This record gives sequence, C-alpha cells and structure tokens, in this order.
Amino acid sequence: MLNGFDLQVVINALPYLFMTGMAFTLTLTAFATLAGIAFGTLLAMMRLSRHRALAYMAAGYVNLLRSLPLVLVIFWFYFLVPYLAQWAMGASRPVRVDPFWSSVITFTLFEACYFCEIIRAGIQSLPKGQLLASQALGMHGGQSMLYVVLPQALRNMLPLMLTQTIILFQDTSLVYVLSITDFLGATAKVAQRDGRLLEMYIFAALVYFVISLLASHAARRLQRRVAIIR
Amino acid sequence: MITLRDVCKAYGQFQVLSHCSTHVAKGEVVVVCGPSGSGKSTLIKTVNGLEPVNAGEIIIDGVSVTARGTNLSTLRARVGMVFQHFELFPHLSIIQNLMLAQVKVLKRTRPQAHKKGMALLDRVGLVAQAHKFPGQLSGGQQQRVAIARALAMDPVALLFDEPTSALDPEMINEVLDVMIELAREGMTMMVVTHEMGFARKVANRVIFMDRGEIVEDAEKNAFFDQPRSERAQQFLSKILVH
Amino acid sequence: MSYNWNWSIFFEPSLDGTHTYLTTLLWGAGWTLATAFAAFAIALSLGSVVGVARTAPQAWVRALSTCFVEVLRNVPLLVQMFLWYFVLPELLPDELGTWLKQLPDAQFYTAVVCLGCYHAARMAEVVRAGLQSLPGGQRMAGQALGLNLAQTYRYVLLPMAYRIVVPAITSEFLSCTKNTSVALAIGLMELTGSARAMQENSFQIFEAFSAATTLYLALNLIIIFAMRRVERLAVVPGYGTPQKAA
Repeated sequence: MLNGFDLQVVINALPYLFMTGMAFTLTLTAFATLAGIAFGTLLAMMRLSRHRALAYMAAGYVNLLRSLPLVLVIFWFYFLVPYLAQWAMGASRPVRVDPFWSSVITFTLFEACYFCEIIRAGIQSLPKGQLLASQALGMHGGQSMLYVVLPQALRNMLPLMLTQTIILFQDTSLVYVLSITDFLGATAKVAQRDGRLLEMYIFAALVYFVISLLASHAARRLQRRVAIIR
Repeated sequence: MITLRDVCKAYGQFQVLSHCSTHVAKGEVVVVCGPSGSGKSTLIKTVNGLEPVNAGEIIIDGVSVTARGTNLSTLRARVGMVFQHFELFPHLSIIQNLMLAQVKVLKRTRPQAHKKGMALLDRVGLVAQAHKFPGQLSGGQQQRVAIARALAMDPVALLFDEPTSALDPEMINEVLDVMIELAREGMTMMVVTHEMGFARKVANRVIFMDRGEIVEDAEKNAFFDQPRSERAQQFLSKILVH
Repeated sequence: MSYNWNWSIFFEPSLDGTHTYLTTLLWGAGWTLATAFAAFAIALSLGSVVGVARTAPQAWVRALSTCFVEVLRNVPLLVQMFLWYFVLPELLPDELGTWLKQLPDAQFYTAVVCLGCYHAARMAEVVRAGLQSLPGGQRMAGQALGLNLAQTYRYVLLPMAYRIVVPAITSEFLSCTKNTSVALAIGLMELTGSARAMQENSFQIFEAFSAATTLYLALNLIIIFAMRRVERLAVVPGYGTPQKAA
C-alpha cells in the first residue's frame, strides 16, 4: 500500500543512519582499501616474482577468492577468524572477534585480490622498452622498478584503484547478511522497526548513488589530470 | 553528375570547408589534391553525406544530398566509396563482403549477389581469395576488394578517399591499375590522391585545395603546366621534386 | 583448532526431513545456475540495446541510456534487490502489488530481474567499449554502401564488437553467477543460501562452506570451459595481427 512518502521517518532516523551506520561503512571502506592495497601490492609482487613457488601461491589465492561470491567469503571469514585467532593466540577456545575488525579482515583479504590484479596489469602494461632503457642506463632491478616502472604504472592504475574503492564501498553493504549495523543495516533496522520499507530503502539507494556518482566523477577528473601524454 | 554549390563546414570555430563549388560531369575523372589538413578528405565525404555540411548544396544525379527528407541510404547505395583504410568488414569473408549490401540494400537474391561478386573479384584478379578473410590479405589486395565491393552496387559514380596512401609502395600500382582501367571505361570518378602520375594519366581535371578552400579547379594540362596560384605552384614543386 | 569435523553430515537428512544436506546443496547450485542464466539472458539483450544507444547519433538517446547505466552502477546490488523485492510492490497499484507479493517463487523472479538489469548496465558498457574500439571508418563504410543505421549496427558493427568483447562477456557472466548469492538476502535458496542454512541447522560450519566453495569452483570451471569454445568460434581469421599499414 502506498501511503505517500513520509519524509519525517527519514529525518528522524538521520542521526542514527549517519553517525552509526555511515560511520561504520566509511571506516570499513577506508581501512579495507588501505590494507587491501598494501596486501594487494604484496600479492602482485609475488605473482610477478621470479620464484615460481611464490608466483603460484599468490595466483592460486587470487584466483580462488575471485571465483567465490563475496557473500560466501564473508561467511567463511566470519566463522574462520575466531578459530584463526585462537590458533594465533594459543587460546583454549575460539576467540570472539569484534564484527568491525572481522569485516575489515574479510574485505582486506578479498579486495586485495582485485587490487593485486589492477597493480599487476598496471606494471605489465608498460612497454618492455622502458625496462630495457633503464637497464641500459645502468640501473639495477630495484632502481628501475622504483624510478621508472612504478611512477608510470601508478598513474595508469590510480583511476582503476579509485573505481575499485567505489566498488568496495558498495560491497560493504553485504555485511548486512551478518546483521551488522552498517549504513544499509541501520536503514533496514529502522525500516523494519517503523514499517517504512519504501522510504528507507529509497533513501538508502539515493545516498549510495550520490556518494558513488560523485566519487566516480572525481575519479574521472583525476584520470584526465594524471594521464601521461604520449 | 556531381554538383557542389557553396559548401561550408565548420567544427566549432574551425572552418574545414569554406564555399567550395565544383561540378563533375558524367564520365569525368577529377583528382582532388592539396596539403594534409586542407579539407580534401572532408570534402569527398560530404559528397555522399557521410559528413554533414553547415551550408551549401550537393546534388548527385539530380538528387539533393543536402535537402531534408532525402533518403541518404538509397542515395549512398548508388555512389561507391573507397576508403583510405579499406574498411572491409573483418568478420566477413571476401565474397561475403561483396554480397552484404547487394542482398540487404539492393535486395538481390544470394545467388545473384554471389555471381556478381565473383565476376568482380575475377575482374580485380582475386577470385582465388574469395573465401579468405580481409585480415589474411595484403593491403593492395584488400583495396582491390574494396573497389570491387563498391562496384558490386552498380554505382553511377565512384569516390576515392586517398586509396593508396595507407599502402606499402610496392602495392600502390596494383590498385592504381584497377582505377586507371575504370577511368578508361568511362566511370565517373572523384579521387582524393597524391598520385600525380595517376592524375596525369587519366584525370580530366584537377582540383587543388588549401585551408578548406578550392584554390584551383583546372584542366589537367593547365594545372600541371602553368598553375595560376602560388600555393599550387609550391605544392607541385614539393611533390614533384622527388 | 578445536573444531569437530564431520564429513558424513552431507548424507544426513536436512531439516526438511526428506533430502540429505548434499541434495539441498545441489538444489542450491541448480537455483544459482538457473538464476544466473535467466538474468544473463536479460543482461545480454537489454545491455546490447543500451550499449548501442550509448553510441547512437541522437543526443537524447545517449543521455537516457547514460542515466540507466549510471543509476544501476552506482547503487549497491543488495539495495537494488531490496528495491525490487520490498519497494516495487508498494509503488504499484494495489492489485498488481499483491499479485507480485503472492507470486510463487517471487524471490527467483525478483532476483532474475534485478540481476538482469544490474548486469545489463555493465554489459552496456562492455558493448559500448566494443563498438568504440572499432575504427570510425567501419560505420562510414557500412553507410557508404547504403546500409541504414540499424543495418550498419546489425551487420557491420555489432558482429565485430561482440567478437572483440567475448573475454569481457565471460567475466561478466562469471560475476553474474557469483552475484546470484546476494539474492539470499531476499530468501532465494541458491547455493550460498543453502550452505548458510546447512551451517545454521547442523552447526557443521566449515563442511557446509567447503562444499559450497567446491561447487562454485566447479561452476566457474564449467563456464570458463564453455566460453573458451565460444571464444574459438569468435576468432576472425587474420584479425588481431597487424592489419593496417597506416
């Protein structure tokens, strides 16, 4: 039944939605992005490494996680992390882990696979001649990576990394399946409490839309600014 | 056959074509030349409406290209065009390239289209390649196929947009030979090219363009022997030195 | 780890009493595949239309299709799922809304339409990228032969664009298959949902998720294997090697 759009319901819920829900969503996005890029870089270096074993291990991990739905991975880690913590800390029973940190770990380990592929593609997309040229100037492997390859590759990957971060921001809404109070979780709770599904879900969609749209426009602008003219 | 009156075209502030007028009579071969960026490629694309114009009028065989309500597809089917980069359809075999528009536009039956296509491939010496794909042919072969594809539509006139400038030097002549033969058979042709040898051999008239204007529009011999404008003289001296 | 493994759990009857846990998981995989196929059929067709519209000569057509893509790409899939499932019936006239709510397998149809539209927006970008990667002369060559705009797309531009983007279509299909799991939030008993139900009822957490993981990997392999065949069919002889002298 359509009883008209009750804006007051949304307004009353705003402090809860943003102070609790959105705060969770944004901090989770920020932590998982930073940690995901760090771990993703490590994975990319392993995949590009000359040591076969390292390369295969990283490839196996990345390909495994990329073939699974995020929802399943969320469940996996939600239940696995307490056992891992028990093992790591030598505790006698599975350790209770705060839902926030459990989510950070899950998204870091999951999104790192996608960041890894962006970084790997960015490095591999550079013309071979660049590496040869830096070697011809007498640089060794680390130097040519640091001064020649990475500065160019980073510019190529920056827009993709931002896009991936926007995807990550949208993906965090899936913690809903663990009844965690992220932005969508908060919206859903209010929606069910007040029986106002229509208003609350449309509002949630609108907020996600505006934030993602603004962010992707910023990413596009950045892409134009950092592009290397060839 | 082809009439251009006061054709103008601009991209924003930049005037690509300004007040271009000329006429190509039936059976005539007109070569359009000029330095790069002079607007000659744009000019020839306006003739069959591939490039819209801002002002002026273009008439082909009594039908206005520029008038509103003209069915451009019908008109284009009657004017063949050959492009610099061949533009064969890479996913279709050579004979399918020749048949597509015959079947879809002229509504010929597939056997009719096939027969016509094979006859034209024979004419350009490529029957053996009929079932290969464009990517498997050399540039010169591809351009000969492109000419055959245009001829398959029984065009009243042919437009060539730098047909040899994307070719390796050793392949230029096989394409020019086909074009010379067409010219001698009385095909109406408008050809954008730097091949002055071709112009000397078969052109009736030469149009010289610079900065979007038709600077000179003269009989072949008059143009080569005593070009009136200084710009044409400079252009010829640069191009003919080698 | 202090976890009691019990792999024989798969052969014990599940909560419904008639089927074993293994059977419920396989049913889940079946729903996952059915949802993915139906949704991707929508995504391919609708996405092609929108992708073509993104490259159309008319500005308003381009603007409209851009809106479609932007909205569907910038709202999380789960939120879209809720909009289709909870909000849409409220927006419709009463009888229609009630009919929708009472539809048998409403979760399935909702998931199919929602995923179909979501991936249509992404397929539109794939198709557009394919079309824009073609040299501009191809469109001109089609039109110079007298083909009208629709024919030029149908016979000249799209056949080549699809061939170019087959790998991207593969990864979209894989992603669509994985995304069906989001429908568990509206109660569709697809693979992840069945594993979750098994975990809640039997407390054999890791057996349930291991089985789901194995089944997802199998689905992935099947899809990749099938798409390899499509890729081989799509190869154009001589294309991809340097073709133009310019």
